[in-house]
Amino acid sequence: MEFDPRTILVPLMFLTLVGCGPDEPVEPEPPPAPSTGTLKLVMRPTWNGAPFVMNEIYNNVNDYRVKVEGIKFYLGDVRLLNGSGNTLVKDIAFFDLRYNGDTVTWTGVQPGIWSGLSAGFGVPQALNDADPIVYPPGHPLDLANGSYWTWATAYRFFQFDGRYDLDGSGTAPPTAPFSMHTGLNACYQEFNLDLGGDIVVTAGSTSTLVIDMAVDKVFYTATDTVDLATENQTHGTNLPVALELTNCAVQSFSVE
Amino acid sequence: MKTWTIAILLLVMLGACRKDPVIVQEEVDGPFLLALPLGAPSPLIPENNPLTVASVTLGKALFFDPRLSRDGTISCASCHFPDRAFSDTVALSRGVDGLTGMRNAPSLGNVVYHTAMFRDGGVDDLERQVIAPVEDPVEMDHSLQGAVDAVANDLEYQRKSQLAYGRPLDAFVITRAIASYERTLISGWSRYDRYMYGGELPALNESEVRGLALFNSELLNCTACHNGFDLSDHSYQNIGQYLTYADPGRERISLDPGDAGKFKVPSLRNVAMTGPYMHDGAMATLEEVVDHFASGGQPHPNRSPLLTNFALSAEERTDLIAFLNALTDERSLDQVP
Repeated sequence: MEFDPRTILVPLMFLTLVGCGPDEPVEPEPPPAPSTGTLKLVMRPTWNGAPFVMNEIYNNVNDYRVKVEGIKFYLGDVRLLNGSGNTLVKDIAFFDLRYNGDTVTWTGVQPGIWSGLSAGFGVPQALNDADPIVYPPGHPLDLANGSYWTWATAYRFFQFDGRYDLDGSGTAPPTAPFSMHTGLNACYQEFNLDLGGDIVVTAGSTSTLVIDMAVDKVFYTATDTVDLATENQTHGTNLPVALELTNCAVQSFSVE
Repeated sequence: MKTWTIAILLLVMLGACRKDPVIVQEEVDGPFLLALPLGAPSPLIPENNPLTVASVTLGKALFFDPRLSRDGTISCASCHFPDRAFSDTVALSRGVDGLTGMRNAPSLGNVVYHTAMFRDGGVDDLERQVIAPVEDPVEMDHSLQGAVDAVANDLEYQRKSQLAYGRPLDAFVITRAIASYERTLISGWSRYDRYMYGGELPALNESEVRGLALFNSELLNCTACHNGFDLSDHSYQNIGQYLTYADPGRERISLDPGDAGKFKVPSLRNVAMTGPYMHDGAMATLEEVVDHFASGGQPHPNRSPLLTNFALSAEERTDLIAFLNALTDERSLDQVP
C-alpha cells in the first residue's frame, strides 16, 4: 500500500490552525458588591459667615483692611469618629483655596454613622520626614504643589499670604505684605470637629461633608489676636507667631 | 504536486509560529570603585543608591549641566568650583539673573561623611539636598519637574538612567545620580595626609610642623571642633562672629533660640582655596580668620564655650597659616572620568 503523506499532513495542519486560534471567550465575573463608601469633603472658606472671596478686601478683627491672596494647608491623619471608635479616611490631604474653596473625594471609606472628625493641621511627622520624590503627580505631597521647604526637607503646613493696610477706613489698595508659612514638626496640631449631626457613609454611595473655614478667624481666637502690624512674617523661624497662627487656623474650622 | 504545496505551506506556518531569535547585547553597569586615601574611613553609601559607574558618571554630567536651572545658565558647578575644592569664590553665591543667595556655598569635599547638609544642617541626606538649589528662587529657580523636562530627551542621560536605575530619567534619578557623584568627592591627598597617615615626615616643612603643633595645642583649642579625618566634627557652633546675626543659622531648623548664630563646623581640608570664609563669606583671608579666633569673637549669648582667645607671635601666626596651606589636596577631588 502506497503511503499518502496527506493522511498525516492535513490533520496536522488543522491542529496547527486550531492551536493558533484565539482563546475561547471567558464570561466575565460580575464585580463584587462594594464594601466601602466614598466621602466628598468640601472645604468652604467664609468671612463673617458669608462666602469668602479670594483677593477681596475685608476689614479684620483689628479693623485693618486685608486682602488675602493665598490659603493652602494640609490635613493629616483624617479620621471619622463615633461612639464606637474611628476609621482612617485619609493619611494626608492638601487644600488650595485659590478658587474660593476646594474639594477632595476619598474612596474606600468604612461605612458607618459618624458624628465627628479628627485630623492634624499639617503633615504628620512620618510623612513630613519622607523623601518627597516618591510621590507621584497629583499626590498631596507632590513637590509640584509648591509646599515643600527644600532647605529643611519638610513641608509648609499652612501658607497664608496677602496684603494689609492698617487704616481700616482707607481707600488705597492695601500694599503691605503678610506672608505666614508654618511648618516643621513643631507646628503639627491635632483637632476634633463635631459634625453637628451624623454623617452616614454607606457602601457603594457618596456622602458629602462640608467644612467651613472662617478666614476672618484665622486672625484671632477667643484669647489671642494676630496683629499684622507686628506679626506678618513667619517662614520656619519666628515659632511663636507660627504657633499662634496655627491655633487660630485650627479653631477656624467648623461644620454646620 | 498539491501534496508538496501543502507540506511547504505547513512548514512556513510552523516557522511563523516560532519565536524569533533574539540577539541582545546588553550593556551592564558595574560598581564604581571609590579611591580612598590613607586614613579615610569607609563611607556609608545608602543601600538604595549604590555607587555605580553609570550613576556617578550620570551624576557628574548633571552636576555640570546648566539646563537644570530656569534660564539654563546655572549648574551646581557654578557655585561649587572643582578647582576650589567644590566651593565658591564669592562671599554670597549667585543664582539666576545674578541674584544673590543667602550664604556662601561650602566645599563639597568629603560631603559623604556629613550626616546633615547645608550650613544649618537642614537637610538630612544628599539625595534631598539636590532639590533645594534647583528650586531655590535665588539659585536655579526651577521646579524639579522643569529640570527633568529640560534634560529628559538627552539620549546619553536616558541610556545611563536606564543602566543605573532601570527607569527613565526623572526626579528620582536626578537626585540619586547627583548625590552619588557628590559622594565620590573625597579629599585626603594633601601633604598633611602624607605626613599624618603616610608617615612621610618630610612632607611637611619645619614651619608647617610648628603650625600643626599649634593647631593641636590646648591654647588654641582648634581640635575641639576641627578633628577627625575630615578635620571637623560637623557640630553646630556659634563662633561669635556677630553680636546679632542676620542669618539665624541652626535656629532656622531647630527653632531653638539657643541655636541662633550656630553653623556647621566646616572641614579645614583645602581651606587655603575655599575662601571667602564663614557662612556669609565675610572673611576674605586665612589671616582674618586666625585673627578672629585669636580675639575670641563677639560675646554673643550662644558663643561656643570652646572658644578661647589667644595671642600668637607673628612667627606663630605664619606657622599656623603655613600648616593650613598644607591641607590642600595634591590631586583633584573629582575621581569620576
